[in-house]
Amino acid sequence: MRAQIELLGVTKRYPNGVEALRNVTVRVYRGEFLAVIGLSGSGKSTLLRCINRLVEPSEGRVYFEGEDVTHLRGEALRRHRQRIGMVFQQFNLIERRSVLENVLVGALGRVPVWRSLLGNFSAELVQEALHNLEIVGLAEKAAEPVRALSGGQKQRVAIARALMQRPQVLLADEPVASLDPATAHSVLRYLEQLNREHGLTIVCSLHFLSLVRRYASRVVALRTGELVFEGAAEEITPERFRHIYGEEAEEVELR
Amino acid sequence: MSLALRIRALLADALLGAYIGAVVYRIVWGQILGGSPPESVTLAEWLGYAGCAGGFALVGQLARCTPGAWLLWRESMRPWQRTVAQHVVWATVVLTIWTGWSVARVSPVEFFSAKGLESAARLFGALLRPELSILDAALLAMLQTIYIALMATLLGLPPALLLGFLAARNLMRAHPVTFALYAVLRVWINFVRSVEPLIWAVIFSVWVGIGPFAGMLAMLLHTVAALAKLYSEQVESIDPGLVEAVESTGAHPIQVVFYGVVPQVLLPFLAFTIYRWDSNVRMATVIGLVGGGGIGTLLMQYQGLARWQEVGMIVLLIAAVVWVMDYLSARIREMLS
Repeated sequence: MRAQIELLGVTKRYPNGVEALRNVTVRVYRGEFLAVIGLSGSGKSTLLRCINRLVEPSEGRVYFEGEDVTHLRGEALRRHRQRIGMVFQQFNLIERRSVLENVLVGALGRVPVWRSLLGNFSAELVQEALHNLEIVGLAEKAAEPVRALSGGQKQRVAIARALMQRPQVLLADEPVASLDPATAHSVLRYLEQLNREHGLTIVCSLHFLSLVRRYASRVVALRTGELVFEGAAEEITPERFRHIYGEEAEEVELR
Repeated sequence: MSLALRIRALLADALLGAYIGAVVYRIVWGQILGGSPPESVTLAEWLGYAGCAGGFALVGQLARCTPGAWLLWRESMRPWQRTVAQHVVWATVVLTIWTGWSVARVSPVEFFSAKGLESAARLFGALLRPELSILDAALLAMLQTIYIALMATLLGLPPALLLGFLAARNLMRAHPVTFALYAVLRVWINFVRSVEPLIWAVIFSVWVGIGPFAGMLAMLLHTVAALAKLYSEQVESIDPGLVEAVESTGAHPIQVVFYGVVPQVLLPFLAFTIYRWDSNVRMATVIGLVGGGGIGTLLMQYQGLARWQEVGMIVLLIAAVVWVMDYLSARIREMLS
């Protein structure tokens, strides 16, 4: 079976000369929960952004559902991005607008430009947004401004926004790094639920191995832009752990 | 030792030498010691300054006792060389202050002369007894000024909004064509802003004739440039995270601006605009002085007639209105943030 996402020999050099990824090959299979681990600056964010092409690889190829998306531009690039949802460490919501308006941002790709500028979303889209808010347990908050929500609730709004894209894949860039442990679990459980019940493929960068073991079906590890591990979370022995995180590192538990 | 550093040191010494030569000849000898250098600068004088420049740079290189030499041999200078270099710097500072005093014709004698003090007392006395009977005429002129300022702000708003986004580096750098447009707009904005509105008023009064319209156009132009600069800096300082989030949904670039950028800049934009209206009112009173209409023109009329009590009335009114506008705009901006 061909993988849903294939990154083949991807290298990314930024204009300042930094090589964020070096010849990385990763395959993501339909319906899996893939965790991406590694130190800060190891290239996790860049890897995720090569998938939805917020970042354009310098070398190598990216395939999505068998289609070469490495150098897409314009309308084709926007259509590619629409099928991949993304959530971020800092949530990246419009703080002063309502929860509902923020969720509707996820539908922008499906709305004619002039209509979206008037803020004119159809009743069907609003229904869909409310339904997605129900999935993340926030339907009753729809009218509230985002700034009134807690961190965990904000991340769930961001998930609902991503669901508005009717995505085939959900990218999560350190989604729980700025949340407390209890909230982190609650957010990851929503991702797990989407993965199990809706068959959504999830690619998620994480800091804590305990979370990786609890939620991920497979792990890839990056170190200074290079792929240094690929396999099940249980296979990360203390020795491999030091190889990924450096000799000085010690594992911190997050329960 | 790097060549660039050496050139910099030589240039510094040469400029300093020419500067000291010119100040000594033109100011110390010409104005303070009563000498009489010719009005225009002759070739001989230019050559003299060139000689000063070359000589000073040469001394710096050979004797190593000039500020330029200090740039090059800071660590290895002998105490006497260091002392001489320091004294050159001090002498330059003293000469410069002396020059400024002389050029500005600062004269305590005139400031405290009996005749001068008497005139000032008469003037200030009149200003403190404002002529209330012209209050209604002054108020009407003041309203005219406020409306001129309002018009300049409102008409300037749409172009400033457009330019604010087009002159934001973070939105324009992606493509060479848009980046070229960005660079051109930046130059234009900085040029228009660096010329005072008063000078634009003079230019426009040649174009459309002296009057409120010329004053309004001058402020309009300056407002567009000033607001565009403030707006674009606000756009440049936004959090890129939201922009990235909207991009990741597959939104069109126009949608990215409307949903990723606009929500972050809307309130600051409003605050800048209100502030600009308030400063335009202040500016309009000044532009009125050169015939831009409104309260400034009225003030100049009474000043020409030496009717200081009327002038006092107008000055008080300007102060009151400026204070009220300042206070209101500060309060509104507070509410926005």
